[in-house]
Amino acid sequence: MAHESHAKTLPADLGAPAFVDVWKGRALAIGVVFSIIAAALAYADHSIVPLVRAWVMGLMITFGFAVGGLALLMVQYCSGGKWGLLLRRPLEAMSRTLPLVFVYWTVSAIFMKRLYLWADYTSVSSTAAALKAGLITEAQAHCLDFKRPMLNPAAYIWVSVLCFALWGLYAWRLNSMGLRRDADSPDNTPFWIKKFENTSGPGIVIYAVTITAASIYWVMSMDITWFSTIYGLLYLVEQGFQVLALSIIAVIALSKAEPYKTILRQTEQHDLGKLAFAFVMLNVYLAFSQFLIIWSGNLPNEINWYLDRIRGGWGIVITIDFILHWLVPFTLLLSRDLKRNKKRLTLACMVMILAVAVNQFWLIAPSFKDAARNLHFSWGILEYAAVPVAMTAFWLAFYCTRLKTRPLVQTNDPHLKEILEPEHAIA
Amino acid sequence: MPPREGTYGLLAEFDTPGDLIRAARKARQDGWRRLDCYSPYPLEEAAEAIGFHRNKVPLLTLIGAMIGGAAMFSLETWISVLAFPLNIGGRPTYSWPAFLVPAYEWTILWAGLSAAYGMLALNGLPALYHPLFNAPNFRGRASMDKFFLCLEALDPKFDLQATKAYLEGFQPASVTEVEY
Repeated sequence: MAHESHAKTLPADLGAPAFVDVWKGRALAIGVVFSIIAAALAYADHSIVPLVRAWVMGLMITFGFAVGGLALLMVQYCSGGKWGLLLRRPLEAMSRTLPLVFVYWTVSAIFMKRLYLWADYTSVSSTAAALKAGLITEAQAHCLDFKRPMLNPAAYIWVSVLCFALWGLYAWRLNSMGLRRDADSPDNTPFWIKKFENTSGPGIVIYAVTITAASIYWVMSMDITWFSTIYGLLYLVEQGFQVLALSIIAVIALSKAEPYKTILRQTEQHDLGKLAFAFVMLNVYLAFSQFLIIWSGNLPNEINWYLDRIRGGWGIVITIDFILHWLVPFTLLLSRDLKRNKKRLTLACMVMILAVAVNQFWLIAPSFKDAARNLHFSWGILEYAAVPVAMTAFWLAFYCTRLKTRPLVQTNDPHLKEILEPEHAIA
Repeated sequence: MPPREGTYGLLAEFDTPGDLIRAARKARQDGWRRLDCYSPYPLEEAAEAIGFHRNKVPLLTLIGAMIGGAAMFSLETWISVLAFPLNIGGRPTYSWPAFLVPAYEWTILWAGLSAAYGMLALNGLPALYHPLFNAPNFRGRASMDKFFLCLEALDPKFDLQATKAYLEGFQPASVTEVEY
């Protein structure tokens, strides 16, 4: 019997479908509504401090999408694979949202005195005075003086700006090279593949270093006394986790129309689900390892960080975090049928993103004296829901505009031919 | 059990996987249920074509995993709480965070073993004898470059002459009668 080719062809228009604008509109509306709620809460609480703290939570979530997207973009250039081609343009769009994240960061830098002890007490004498007045503990005073060469406002700003510059450089290079590659003739594809590999490889190393620095400065140093060497890695894996979840949601939602209708096959969707599953495991592995080691050591300078986050009601939050972050995605993504089902996979990924938010809340909120070991209701604590939702919504609207700016499929890639073949190329 | 005698089935030989799958699909549509495909490498479509149905391997894996995890966690609890309680850094004897790692490892180990052995058992392996190896073309090429469809005599539709003619309709390379 004759064999005929069943290969599909790409549609002529590779641009983002029109409904991306509808998403943008909805995201903007949600952003505005939640901004008003956040402002109302700040008014009800008579304080801007909870808003500023919740701002860091929103910063870390959107930062995770933007820079995590850049990292996964570099990883897929190095690893290859059809899933990479599928995600390339959505990830590029994420990396191009970096300017908004920079704006978000600027706000937290302006309010750093309200977030970090080291920004308040910048000299030995001021630390001593605060200790005398009973504002800080002896351990905090010691850590403030000991860590001052690293944790001071100037270093915070310089390191953060350097990190943003490096991420910006890589985002700009990979994005502009992506367009030039498409414009080039297919004969040069091997050259481009190598060039992207050679750019991305060192980029991943730089990303690992910069994410460690950023997470230490922005979040870990909220508790001046505590340190963990795995902290940067935890954020790194968390970013992979949330970026994969959002990418899967995005490509499945985009597949309602061309061009993703043509190029999203069940095989690659299944692969993405498997990759997300791997990140679910890696995340709980790192988080639990850190806990087990500190729990085993039970040292007074380390264990307090966990006690702040377990006692006084916080145990409920970490239990919810564990359920949403590991138990639910793990059991769901274990199923092959679920990974091949668009609706259910989207639902699992939404749970994952919710889990990221709960996790950031658990990491950030108990860092402050009034909340540590004391989870209690105030108007201010609701800011942790309102502000990140507003910031993420504005980020999503910006992401939609980024998606619209270029074709959604990179055409100059050998994987394209494979992705256009029918699922099983035999019968 | 006395040895079975007579015809096991009719075996059609195809040169390409596409031909095998088309034939299998048609046979399934025409009401054949006792049929099987044989190919040198896994063909997902072949499984679909002959009406792939769920098997019990996932259930066995889940049961194995839960037995493994529960067994190790209970063992650790029994040792630390009842059999040999030790004061380790003032921690409670029931220190579940420390128990989780071995319990998890056993969960994975037992899941893996149950999946592998469960798969073999449900496949009917080890089988020391299979009638299809009586067919010389099957013995020689089934694991090399030929694709086979077997309609088994257990199927109520089976009739030696009619089924042979039916299989010839797929234009296979050959049709062989296989004895038990």
